[in-house]
Amino acid sequence: MRIKLTSIMVDDQARALAFYTDVLGFRKKNEFPAGDYRWITVVSPEEPEGTELSLEPNANPAGRAFQQAMFAQGIPVVAFEVDDADLEHDRLRGRGVTFTTRPTPVGAVKIALFADGCGNLVQIYQHIG
Amino acid sequence: MIDPAFARLCRARDFLRDTCADNPPLTEAAAVAHLSLFHFVRRFDALFGLTPHRWRTQARIQQARELLARGGHSVTDTCIELGFSSVGSFSNLFQRHVGVSPRAFQRAARLSVAVSGWPPPLHFPGCLSLMARLPPGAFRNSR
Repeated sequence: MRIKLTSIMVDDQARALAFYTDVLGFRKKNEFPAGDYRWITVVSPEEPEGTELSLEPNANPAGRAFQQAMFAQGIPVVAFEVDDADLEHDRLRGRGVTFTTRPTPVGAVKIALFADGCGNLVQIYQHIG
Repeated sequence: MIDPAFARLCRARDFLRDTCADNPPLTEAAAVAHLSLFHFVRRFDALFGLTPHRWRTQARIQQARELLARGGHSVTDTCIELGFSSVGSFSNLFQRHVGVSPRAFQRAARLSVAVSGWPPPLHFPGCLSLMARLPPGAFRNSR
């Protein structure tokens, strides 16, 4: 058993793909039509054979209610490891990303949270010891 | 600790989602967020990826898809329930966003319900359920 795939729900798959590739810098790994929607996965360019992140439509009302509640509570749905949270914060701010939490040391990590513009908060974290 | 300004923007988002009027004044939503209209539109867009008007349109279209796919709501019922002022404007908006008319969408949804039972996964995908619809060999690149 291996962890090869995880997913987040997004408001709009096309906008999400643009954000996660053009803004964050991930690479599209798969894109197939699937009924009314698409099966889209992205990977980190640093780990092209690593875990894939599926950008799932939030068309299921149960999923959308969960997503909107998590957002309103300030809870991220996914976290990405970075080498330098401050550098990533500055890079992404320069690309117009809205942060809800600036890089902040919390125990063994420094975290920051931003909105993906598709209904989610995303956390980046840097190990600091 | 949630930033109060962030929480107010989320409440404004919920206000837009839950308000039935065809064209609620954005000033009301801006008031929920305690912002001027100008700053409300800018900050909403930055947080949710769409202007308030476009976000609300998208939310209403999604609600319409759900009502139509579930059955029990005719096109007219859906139009009234979601507060559209006319079936014509609702149908035009729906067609523009979904690519088919509300009636055609409902027909297709009913067929999928008849075949696979509730919920129709084509219209209400669950987490990762789209995987079941991929063609053979779809994961060739992932091994």
